[in-house]
Amino acid sequence: MPQYPQVLFKNRKPDRVATLDEYRESGGYQALEKFVGGAVSPKEIISLVDQSGLLGRGGAGFPCGKKWAAVPESGAFPRYLVANGDEMEPGTFKDRILLHVDPHCIIEGMVLSGYSFSASKAFFFVRPSYESSAVILERELEYARQAGFLGNNILGTDFSFDIVVHRSGGRYICGEASALLNAIMGKRPNPVKPPPYPTEKGLWDKPTVVNNVETLACVPHILRNGPEWFKGLSATPHGAGTKLYGISGKVNIPGAVELPIGTRLSEIIEEYCGGMSPGSEFKACLPGGASTRFMTREHYDIPMDFEDLKKIGNRLGTAAIMVFDQKTCLVGATLNLIEFFARESCGWCTPCREGLPYMRDLLWRIENGEGKEEDIPNLRRLCKEVWNSYCALAPGAAEPVISLLDFFEDEVRQHISEKGCPFHAKADH
Amino acid sequence: MLPDELKLKLEKMISDAESPREKAIDVMFEIQELQGWMSDEAMVEAAGLLGMTPLELEELATFYDYIYRSPVGKYVIKVCDSTVCWLEGHQSIIDYISARAGVPMGGTSPDGLFTLLPVCCIGYCDRAPAMVINKRVYGKLTPEKIDRILDKLANSAEFHESE
Amino acid sequence: MPRLIIDDLEVDVPKGSKVIDAAERLGIMIPRFCYHEALGSVGACRMCAVKFIQGPFKGVQMSCMIDAQDGMVVSTTDEEAVQFRQRVIELLMMNHPLDCPVCDEGGQCLLQDETVSGGHAIRRYRGKKRTYRDQYLGPYIQHEMNRCIHCYRCSRYYQEFSGYRDLGPLQIGDRMFFGRFSDGKLESPFSGNLVDICPTGVYTDKTARFKVRRWDLHRAPSLCNHCPLGCNTIANAHYRGVMRVEARYNQDVNGYFICDAGRFGFSYSNGGALHEKRPWTPRIQGSDVSAKAAIAKAREDLDNVAEKYGPGAIAAVGSARNSLESQCMLGKICRTRGWRGPVFFTDPAKLRKTRSALERLDGDIAVSLREIENADFIVIAGADPLNEAGMAALAVRQASRKQAPIVTIDPRPLFLPCDFDHIPAAPGKIELYLGMLISAALAKDSTGFGKEAVDFYSALVAEKGKSEVPAGIFSLAERLGASQRPVIICGTDVTRETTPSFTADCVRLLRLAGKQAGLFYLLPGAGSFSSALLSGTDGEAFGDLIGDIENGLIKALVVVESDPFHYYPDRVRLERAMESLELVVAIDYFPSSTVSRASIFYPASTIFETGATYVNQEGRAQFARPVHHGGVPVWGGEHPPRVYSNSIPGGDHLPAWKALWEIAGSTPDTGAADISPGEFIPAEHAAFEAFGSDNYPVDGIRVLQGKAGLTGNWNSRIEESSQRPENAEPLELLMVEWMFGTTEFSAWSDSLASAIAEPYMSMNSKDACRAGVCDGDRVSLELDNGTIEIKVSVSDRAAEGVLVIPRHQSLDWRKMKDFSVRVLPGKIRKI
Ligand SMILES: Cc1cc2nc3c(=O)[nH]c(=O)nc-3n(C[C@H](O)[C@H](O)[C@H](O)COP(=O)(O)O)c2cc1C
Ligand code: SF4
Ligand code: FES
Repeated sequence: MPQYPQVLFKNRKPDRVATLDEYRESGGYQALEKFVGGAVSPKEIISLVDQSGLLGRGGAGFPCGKKWAAVPESGAFPRYLVANGDEMEPGTFKDRILLHVDPHCIIEGMVLSGYSFSASKAFFFVRPSYESSAVILERELEYARQAGFLGNNILGTDFSFDIVVHRSGGRYICGEASALLNAIMGKRPNPVKPPPYPTEKGLWDKPTVVNNVETLACVPHILRNGPEWFKGLSATPHGAGTKLYGISGKVNIPGAVELPIGTRLSEIIEEYCGGMSPGSEFKACLPGGASTRFMTREHYDIPMDFEDLKKIGNRLGTAAIMVFDQKTCLVGATLNLIEFFARESCGWCTPCREGLPYMRDLLWRIENGEGKEEDIPNLRRLCKEVWNSYCALAPGAAEPVISLLDFFEDEVRQHISEKGCPFHAKADH
Repeated sequence: MLPDELKLKLEKMISDAESPREKAIDVMFEIQELQGWMSDEAMVEAAGLLGMTPLELEELATFYDYIYRSPVGKYVIKVCDSTVCWLEGHQSIIDYISARAGVPMGGTSPDGLFTLLPVCCIGYCDRAPAMVINKRVYGKLTPEKIDRILDKLANSAEFHESE
Repeated sequence: MPRLIIDDLEVDVPKGSKVIDAAERLGIMIPRFCYHEALGSVGACRMCAVKFIQGPFKGVQMSCMIDAQDGMVVSTTDEEAVQFRQRVIELLMMNHPLDCPVCDEGGQCLLQDETVSGGHAIRRYRGKKRTYRDQYLGPYIQHEMNRCIHCYRCSRYYQEFSGYRDLGPLQIGDRMFFGRFSDGKLESPFSGNLVDICPTGVYTDKTARFKVRRWDLHRAPSLCNHCPLGCNTIANAHYRGVMRVEARYNQDVNGYFICDAGRFGFSYSNGGALHEKRPWTPRIQGSDVSAKAAIAKAREDLDNVAEKYGPGAIAAVGSARNSLESQCMLGKICRTRGWRGPVFFTDPAKLRKTRSALERLDGDIAVSLREIENADFIVIAGADPLNEAGMAALAVRQASRKQAPIVTIDPRPLFLPCDFDHIPAAPGKIELYLGMLISAALAKDSTGFGKEAVDFYSALVAEKGKSEVPAGIFSLAERLGASQRPVIICGTDVTRETTPSFTADCVRLLRLAGKQAGLFYLLPGAGSFSSALLSGTDGEAFGDLIGDIENGLIKALVVVESDPFHYYPDRVRLERAMESLELVVAIDYFPSSTVSRASIFYPASTIFETGATYVNQEGRAQFARPVHHGGVPVWGGEHPPRVYSNSIPGGDHLPAWKALWEIAGSTPDTGAADISPGEFIPAEHAAFEAFGSDNYPVDGIRVLQGKAGLTGNWNSRIEESSQRPENAEPLELLMVEWMFGTTEFSAWSDSLASAIAEPYMSMNSKDACRAGVCDGDRVSLELDNGTIEIKVSVSDRAAEGVLVIPRHQSLDWRKMKDFSVRVLPGKIRKI
C-alpha cells in the first residue's frame, strides 16, 4: 500500500482528537502567526489560495480564492465567514472525521480566511447528530482563544475574530449555502437565488463567505507550504491538493482516507478499504454523495478528481463514495435515495416539492411490482424537468434516478416485467 | 412555565447573539433538554423571549427534524434509514428495537421511556447501521449492542427516577 | 428602456421590468401562481417558464425571475416550455382535490383556468392525495388547506406586504402548511385580501361562501365610501343583494388591496341578514306610504313651513357620506329655495379644519397613496392612518419596507404595521414638535428660501428651548434632512384648527429647500373633501344651527344621508332641539335615530344602487357605477312576499339627490322634471367645471383648489402652543375613530360586528397615576351629562394631558356639553 503524504490527517490518532500542542508541533498556527502578524497583505492570502487551485470541498467545486475575492473591497462591515459543517448528504461524513482528527487545523483555516477579507465573526454550522463534534469544537475554540489565536486582538495585533458554533435543527437543505444563511439568522431555511451574492449581501445583508469545513482546513497548509506544493500533492496534473474520501457500503473497511486528489477508484477501494466485502463484487458506486450519478464497473479505474468525473458526465461532489455490490437492487437503492430527497425538500418550489414524491411513488411501484412500461419515460421526463427547480437539491436528486435509467434500464424493466424485485425474490427462495 | 433559572440562561444566550432569532433553535433545544418536547405553552414562552410571535417560532419548529411538537419519550431513538444503513439492513434494526422496547415506529413505549423514529442519514455511514438517541450516536448496530444500549438507558432512567 | 422580442413581437419596457411583465404589456399573459406584481418575484411555483432563445439567458427559465434586457428573444409557445408548464400543472394537480363543483372558488380560480388552458386533463399519478386539517381563521376567511398549491402568496402578502405576524408557512416539503399557530381570528385588518390573492380556494370569503357562483353575479366597478381614501372596489350583487366586495386595482389609490372594513362592511345595503334593518319604504309619521304620497307630503309640508316662517326656517343637513351629486343638489336647492345651509359637518371646528386643509392643497404638493409608498421619509402628524384610513397604513408600511424612516407625532399611542418612531404629543404640541423636526432638518440659508421662508423658519427655530425637546428628534431630523421625497401625513380629527395649514407650510418649506416633499391629509369621511369645498368660506356646521333651532329660527330640517345623533356630542340638548322642530324630512338608507324620528322619510339608494361620485382626500374624483337596482333581497329569511305588483319590493328608493329634487327641486305644476347630475354639478363650485353633461360621469381627475405659497406669520401661534403648561389639568378629552366600531357603517353592517373590539380609553402613565388608575382597570368617567364606564389602557406612548376615547357605538359617550371638553383627573374613578 503506497503511503501518500498526509496533510489534513497528519495528526490522526486512533481514538482521540489531536491537541492544540500536537497541532502546533506539526507546524500548526505558523501560518496564522506569519500572515496575521502582517507579513503580507490580506489580499496576498487570497491570491495564494487562488494560485493553489483549491476547489471547494462542499460539492460544487467552486474555486476558493475566487469566492473570497468576490467580497467587494468597498463592502460593508461587519463581514462574516460561515463554515458549512452541515454534511447531511447521505454517504458524506468526512467533515465529521476531520473534526475529530484535527480541529485546530479548521480553526486556523477559519481565522486565516476571515483575515483575508476582513471578517470579524464566523459561524460554524453543525448538524444535531454531530453534537459530539460540536462539543469538541467548542472546547478547542476555548483553548485557541486562551492561546491568543482567536478572539480579540489575535496575537496582539488589531485583528479580532471569533468563531461561534451554530447548532442546526437538522435538515439537509440547511447545507445549501443561501439556505444556510437563512438558518443562521433564524429564518426558515429556504434557499435564495442570487443576485445579490452572499459575498455582497449575506448574513444580515453584510458580506459573507460560506465554505466547506474541509476547504477551510486546507488553507493553513497552503499558506505555510505554498501554492505550488499544494498543487503538487495531486495525483493528476490538473488537480490540486489531497482529498478526503469517505467510503461506505460494501467494502471491507469503510471510512475516511486522505489521498492525493485524483487517486483511482480501484486503488481507493482495493488499497485503502480492504477491497470489497466478502462475497461482494463491485456493481456500481455513487462517487460523490447521494446527488451524483451511479458509476458502473466501466469506470472502476477513473481518477477521482473534479475534472475526470465531469468528463464522464458525473461529479466528484463531496467525494463520498457509496459502493454497491451485485446483490444490491439499485431500484431499491434509488428509491431509498429519492425517499431521502423527497423528505428533505424544503417545499419552496413545485418540481421538487411535488416532483420528488412523484418519482418516489413511481419507483416504489416499480420496486413493488406495480410498475408499468410508461413509468420509465415518465421518470425520464421528470428527471429532466426537475432540473428547472429553484435550487440544486432537486437536480441533485434526479442524478441517481437518471443514471439508474441510463445504466441499469434492464434491471428496471425486469422489475416491471416480473412484477416485483428480482433481488427480493432471490432472497426469499 | 419555564423555570426561572432556565429563563435567565436563555435570556443571556439571546442577548449575546447578533439578533435574537439566531438563537431560536438553541432555545428550543434547551427547553427540550428539560421537557423533552415543545409544548404549546413552551412555544409561546420561547417566542416571547426571542421577540417572535408563536407562529414565527412555529415556522421554524415544524421545519426541523429535531424539534418535537408532540410529546416524546425520555429517549428518542432515531434509526437512520438512508442509503448505506438501508444497505446494511436498517429494517431489521428497526424491527428489533420495536419488538424489544415495545414501541411501534413513530410511537412511544408504554413506560414513556422510548420513542422510535426514522431519521435520514446521520453522517455515520462508515459505521452503518447507525442510530442516534437524543444526541448521542451509536453505530455498527447489532441486536446484542442494541440490548446493551437500551438496558443501560432503561437502568439509568430508573436510577434517576428513584434518586 | 430595454427592447426585447417576445413571441415575435417587439416591446420596450422600463428598466427593471421582469420578462413576465414585458409580455403582459404585449397582451401575453404568461401563466403564473407565485408571481404577483405587488409581492414581487420569488420563483417558487415555476409556472411562468418560457424559452429564452437569444440574449444573456438561454433555455427554459422563469420569466418572473429575469429582468427584461436588450436583445432578448423569448418564446412563450416553445414546445419545451409548454411541456414544462404542463408538467408543473400536473404536479400541482397531483394533490389538488377534483371537486371544483363544490368549491367556492370554482369559476374564479386561477388554478382551474391554467389547468384547463394547459391541457392537463388525464391523471397519471397513481398515489394517494395528501390531506390537511383546516384551521378556524375567524368570521371572514374560510381555510381549506387541501386546495393549497404552495405558491406562498398568502404568507408573503400577510407578513411581508401587510406586516402582520400570525399567519405563515409551516412544516416542510410536501407537508407544507399555511396557517396560524392555533385556531383563531386573523389579526390583520387587511386579511380579506387573502381571498383575492390566493390563486385557488384555500382562502374564501366566508361571508359570501356558497351563496352564488361568480358567473351569476352582477359585477360593477365601485368605490369604498368608508373612509376618505376612496379605494376602488368591485361590487358583486345577486338577487337584489350585495354578496361581496373585492378590491379593484388602481395604481394611484389602493393598488391591489383594500381593508377589511371596506371589504366586509357592505351588509347595511342589504339591511342585515334578514333585511329588516334597512328602511325600504317611504313613511309619513311612521306609517308606510307610497313614494308618490311621501314626496307630495314632504313638498307640501315644506312649502307650508316656508310660507309660515320664511324659507330660512328650513335648513338642509348633509354629511360626509353624501355623494358629490347629493351635495351639489343640496347646494342648488338651498340656493334656489333660500333654505339655510346646506351643512355637512357636525362640528364647526372640524369644518374649518377641513376647509383650511383644502385651501392649502394644490397639485404640486398633494400626493397619492402610491407616492407615499415611494416616500423616503414619512412624518405622521396628528393622524392615525390605520384607524382613520386603513390603506394609508399599508402604504406607509411599503415605504418603511424600502427603509424610509417613519415618525408619528400624535397624542394617541399609535400602532402601525411597521417600525416607526413615536413622539407622544398633545394636540397643542403637534405643531411645535413638527416645527422642531422640520427646522432641525433644514439649514436657515437653504437656497430657495425667500424672505417669507426665512421668517417662517425663524419662527420655528425661535421655539427651541421653550419646551423640552422630544427624545430622538434631532437624529430623526438628520435623516429627514437627507431625504429626497419626504411626505407629511396630517390628520383633521384630533389636531388643532391651525395644524393642517401649518403642516402645509412645513411641506412648502421642505420644497423650497429642494425636496420633492408631499402632503397627504386624512379627512373625516368619503365625501368630506367636496363637502368642505361646497360649504364655502363662511359655511356652517350642524353645531352652528342648534342654537337657532332652540331659538325657533329654524323650524324644519331636511336631513339627507346624515345622522346628527351619531356625531353630536350632547345627546340631551340635541333631542330637545329636534323635538322642538315642526318638520323633519329624512332621506337615507340607514335606519338611524334621525330616520326613526323623521316626520317624513324617503328611502335613499346606497352606493351600490346609484351611480355616485366621491372626491377623495387628495382631490381625486372617482365614480362608482351602480351594480344593481336593489330592493329587498330575495335570499335569507322569509320567502319574498307573494304580492302581485309591477314594482320591486323595497325598490322605491332613489339616489338621495334625485329624491331631493323631486321633493324640492321641480315645481309643483310641472311635476318632477328630470335633471341629470351633469346639469347641476358644475354650477355649484368652480372646482367641478369639468363635470358638465358632456363629461359626466367623471372618473380619475383631480379637482384641487388649494393655493401655493406660505401663509407665514406663525410666531404667535407657536408662542401659544409652547406656553401651555406641561402637566395640563384638566385633561383634554379626545374622541377618535377606530377602523371598526365607530363609524355609521360599522353601526349598520352586521358583517362588521365580529371585528369590533371592546372600547378602551388610553392615557399616559403619569396621568393615570394622578387619577389613581392602572392599566386594565375599569373606570367611570364623569361627563357633563352623566358618567360612562370604560376600560383603561395606560401607556407611556400616550401623550400627557389627554384622554383618548373611541366614538364607539357601544359607548354612551354623547354626554358632553361640547365637541371638545376637558376632564379633571378626579372625575375618573376606578370601579
Ligand atoms: C441541497 C444542498 C445541500 C448542501 N449541503 C452541503 C453541506 O452539507 N456541506 C457543504 O459544505 N456544502 C453543501 N452544499 C454546497 C453549498 O451550497 C456550498 O456550495 C458550499 O458549502 C460552499 O463551500 P465550498 O466552496 O468550500 O465547497 C449543499 C448544496 C446543496 C444544493
Ligand atoms: S429544489 Fe425547490 S423545494 Fe427543493 S429544496 Fe430547492 S428550493 Fe426547496
Ligand atoms: S410565477 Fe414565476 S415561478 Fe411562480
